[in-house]
Amino acid sequence: MKMEDMSLSGLDNTKLEALAHDVYSDLVEDACLGLCFEVHRAVKQGYFFLDETDQESMKDFEIVDQPGVDIFGQVYNQWKNKECVCPNCSRSIAASRFAPHLEKCLGMGRNSSRIANRRIASSNNTSKSESDQEDNDDINDNDWSYGSEKKAKKRKSEKNPNSPRRSKSLKHKNGELSSNVNPDLYKYNYSSGISYETLGPEDLRSILTTQCGVVSEHTKKMCTRSQRCPQHTDEQRRAVRVFLLGPSASMLPDSETMLENDGYDAPDGQLIMSRLQWDGSSDISPSDSASSKASTNNSESKRPKKKKNPSTLTLTTTGGGGERDKGQERERVVGSGSGSSSSQNALGLSSRKKRPKLPVPPGPSIYDDLN
Amino acid sequence: MFNRFQFLFQTNTSREKQMRAAINQKLIEMGERERLKELLRAKLIECGWRDQLKALCKEVIKEKGIENVTVEDLVAGVTPKGRALVPDSVKKELLQRIRAFLAQHST
Repeated sequence: MKMEDMSLSGLDNTKLEALAHDVYSDLVEDACLGLCFEVHRAVKQGYFFLDETDQESMKDFEIVDQPGVDIFGQVYNQWKNKECVCPNCSRSIAASRFAPHLEKCLGMGRNSSRIANRRIASSNNTSKSESDQEDNDDINDNDWSYGSEKKAKKRKSEKNPNSPRRSKSLKHKNGELSSNVNPDLYKYNYSSGISYETLGPEDLRSILTTQCGVVSEHTKKMCTRSQRCPQHTDEQRRAVRVFLLGPSASMLPDSETMLENDGYDAPDGQLIMSRLQWDGSSDISPSDSASSKASTNNSESKRPKKKKNPSTLTLTTTGGGGERDKGQERERVVGSGSGSSSSQNALGLSSRKKRPKLPVPPGPSIYDDLN
Repeated sequence: MFNRFQFLFQTNTSREKQMRAAINQKLIEMGERERLKELLRAKLIECGWRDQLKALCKEVIKEKGIENVTVEDLVAGVTPKGRALVPDSVKKELLQRIRAFLAQHST
């Protein structure tokens, strides 16, 4: 619309006035319509005739002003002294304690799984050494009171580290893989570690080959997490092994230091030596023998991804000749500075989960070259 | 001649329509229409026009029955009376504002 069209000169006053009236009528009509819509909605929603309620109903809904009661006439602390029956355990519980009790009772609260795990672990460990069943029951029943939780904790830490169950599971670790590791870890986890003082050298070795083992300063216990646990560095792990097993008995698979340990036969000598080549080998030149732990860590992590071999490496077989073709290992053999004694350590290493994927490089001949 | 007048009349009405459309558009664009609406509403509530009309609505509802009353019933029954019931003062004030707007914005 151009402005010229709207020029006053083109219109006389009457037209303008008519226009103004039209605008006004539109506005009034809008107002009427708005009102109609409002009224119609009020009618359909049922609140249009509210101001016409009879006196009787009005009295029913008067505001209440008595003490101890809200304006609707309801008592607000009626349920304080009441007792409810728990649908799960059929006990009578105070109303204010009902919700936390139900949480624990049904096993759905934040801490209920933790408590249950603790109870299971303690009953596992103490069922043999304790004949006092009644005592256990008491603790189990009162799981939601703080005092008995403390009691339960103390009881677990008293468990015998040399109990038959413990060493039995440790021995299994050497021959088999993960199946035993997890339950053991699970058992030990809640007590957050193992005391190294009470373990024999064999036990120590087996633990150190599968777990982090770093001794915590405050609790004097060994870390039970995996060898790659983020809380401890490889330096710490190596230090612990040196400390516990002798200066040259560092058993970290990543390490390239001289490994001298006895106590293991070497039926899997080939396997072990090949394993060590695998460990020691890195992408770097032979000059970095002692210090390249970091690099071996990297190569360690890379290797499982690269080498997806159809011929899986089983710990017991030594027929690793097929892998000879992997020229890489042959080249890298130089990096590992290991002696024959390394074989024993490798046996311990062999029990770890990662190992099965690694191929078996050639036998002693190459090893001799190194030495 | 008759035809000429007719012709003139027609162009004028179409021009009027154009004019109207333009004015309405301007009113809306500048927010003046909204302001006028609010002003009218406030004035009508103030003078009791709204309550009067509500009473009228009640009668229509009672007549038609509360379950079956429709918007159309209400509108048809109430709007003509509503238009008539607007007090003069309100009407005058509103017209004044509209004229002012037209004067201001139609040149």
